[in-house]
Amino acid sequence: MKRAPPIIMNQTIAGAFVALIWLFIPSAAIAQDVASSPPPSNYVSREEYDKLKTEHEAMKTEHEAMKQELDALKATVQQMTAGAAQPPAPGKTISEGKQVVTAPPEAATEELRQEVESLKTKVKETYPGTTKFLLAGYGTAGFTARSGEDPFFDAAFNALFLWKLTDRLFFEGELELEFEDNETTINLEVAQASYLLNDYMTIGVGRFLNPTNFFVERQHMNWVNKLPDKPLAVYDGLLPESEMGGQLRGVIPIGPTKLEYAAFVANAPGLITESEDFSEIGMLDFDNDANFGGHVAVGGHVGFIPIPQIEVGYGIQRSKVGPRDQAVEAVLQSADFNFVTDSAFLKGLINARAQWVWSHVGHFVYDPNGEQGFGPLEFNNNRNGGYAQLSYRPTHIDNDYIKNFEGVLRYDRFNQLHTPVGFDEQRWTIGLNYWVTPSAVLKLAYEFDDKNGGARNQDAFLMQAAVGF
Amino acid sequence: MKKVVVRTCKWIGLPGATIIISCIALAWLIGCATNKQSGEVAAGTTGKSGAQLWAENCVRCHNIRSPGSYSGMQWEVGLMHMRVRANLTPEEHKKILEFLKSGT
Repeated sequence: MKRAPPIIMNQTIAGAFVALIWLFIPSAAIAQDVASSPPPSNYVSREEYDKLKTEHEAMKTEHEAMKQELDALKATVQQMTAGAAQPPAPGKTISEGKQVVTAPPEAATEELRQEVESLKTKVKETYPGTTKFLLAGYGTAGFTARSGEDPFFDAAFNALFLWKLTDRLFFEGELELEFEDNETTINLEVAQASYLLNDYMTIGVGRFLNPTNFFVERQHMNWVNKLPDKPLAVYDGLLPESEMGGQLRGVIPIGPTKLEYAAFVANAPGLITESEDFSEIGMLDFDNDANFGGHVAVGGHVGFIPIPQIEVGYGIQRSKVGPRDQAVEAVLQSADFNFVTDSAFLKGLINARAQWVWSHVGHFVYDPNGEQGFGPLEFNNNRNGGYAQLSYRPTHIDNDYIKNFEGVLRYDRFNQLHTPVGFDEQRWTIGLNYWVTPSAVLKLAYEFDDKNGGARNQDAFLMQAAVGF
Repeated sequence: MKKVVVRTCKWIGLPGATIIISCIALAWLIGCATNKQSGEVAAGTTGKSGAQLWAENCVRCHNIRSPGSYSGMQWEVGLMHMRVRANLTPEEHKKILEFLKSGT
């Protein structure tokens, strides 16, 4: 009797085991069928499952975040409602110093609406608009000690205002403020509106830098010019610095080369026929803004860039000058050459520039009645001059200080012996610059001056700090 | 027409007239023939990158400034100024501006 239960249990276990086998065999067979057959369209792979799971988790997280945000909003609204409903203590201030004002819920909503409108307006005020503006320019401080003259400090500031009104319309204005000899002078250097007619033509009207003079257009800015002073004849000499009129200019790409051009019509310069300084007789007055004589100057410049390192150009300007009934011809010409290359062999930046200008003023009778005490005096006023300059900066030297130094050598000359000036002048200038940043430079230079015609040589020591921005 | 041309040439002088008329005619013809908008790349593209054009064109007159020295909008104005002053082609203008803006 005692052994009967184990037998029964064994039989029960065996029966259950057989039943399990019977159950397992069809399942295994079905599983094999499923594994061997192609997956049906509604089958979800492991990758898809994982992807869906990830998306689900992300949605859950997002949902939680939204829920929290909603709770926070609800709390805010409740606080606002409570704040609007409860009368505040009189004179009670909040942290920003604002007084809480008693107001019904409608008033609070209106106040909130006004605040939102105010914020909208403020945000709109920060939108850039269609007109784009840039203030650029440069500032200079200098010291000059020239033999035979008192040494002096000077300072100047040029502000360049640039507006891009549309993709084709552009305006630039430049003011020069200079302090020298206890006086501050303000000059309008540039005030020009330019319009891009097409990819190769731009028309400009107003006061613009003289396109025939390469140095004036591209090099005269003190943070660009390599020496503290400017070359003879080219600047403040034989060519005007700016013109008042209209110009047409552009560039034509010809394969890998470029052809630049500029043509202009402007007020003609005046002819100096009377002056307290006799040496000025026969010179051209480029500040003839009133266009005395009523003449028109026509000119242009053509530049060619055969390779990116070289640019050569030629410019000419022609006009009648002098009183209308005695006008004579004035022809101004300029030739320029520029070579700039970053030489791995010389481990630095080589910069070679040259420009020569010619001025011809036709035969004119000055002081015909002898009233000024030197006439009648008649002559053709032919003068010329220019400069050649070489500079080197060891930009490839692996030293942060040495690579910022730059050596400069310039030769400039002004031929005007056979004019009332009565002498020729030539100068050799050596300079050393230190570039603090790409547009900030400290310059030191010494100038060896040589004049003929009995004029006194005036060597000079020059210093200048210039910052472009 | 011929009389007008002769009179004009006499008035402004032959050298000046030659330069002005030839430049205007050449520029106008090429401009009309291509008739492209400013932002498009002109015919005869150089294939150079914006960085290369930036280095080649800017250094011809002055030290090159880093792209970060101005904002993108400021470069837009500055480059338009340079396009007029330094005679940049539309392609150079576009590529250099893209390069400078990418570095701001």
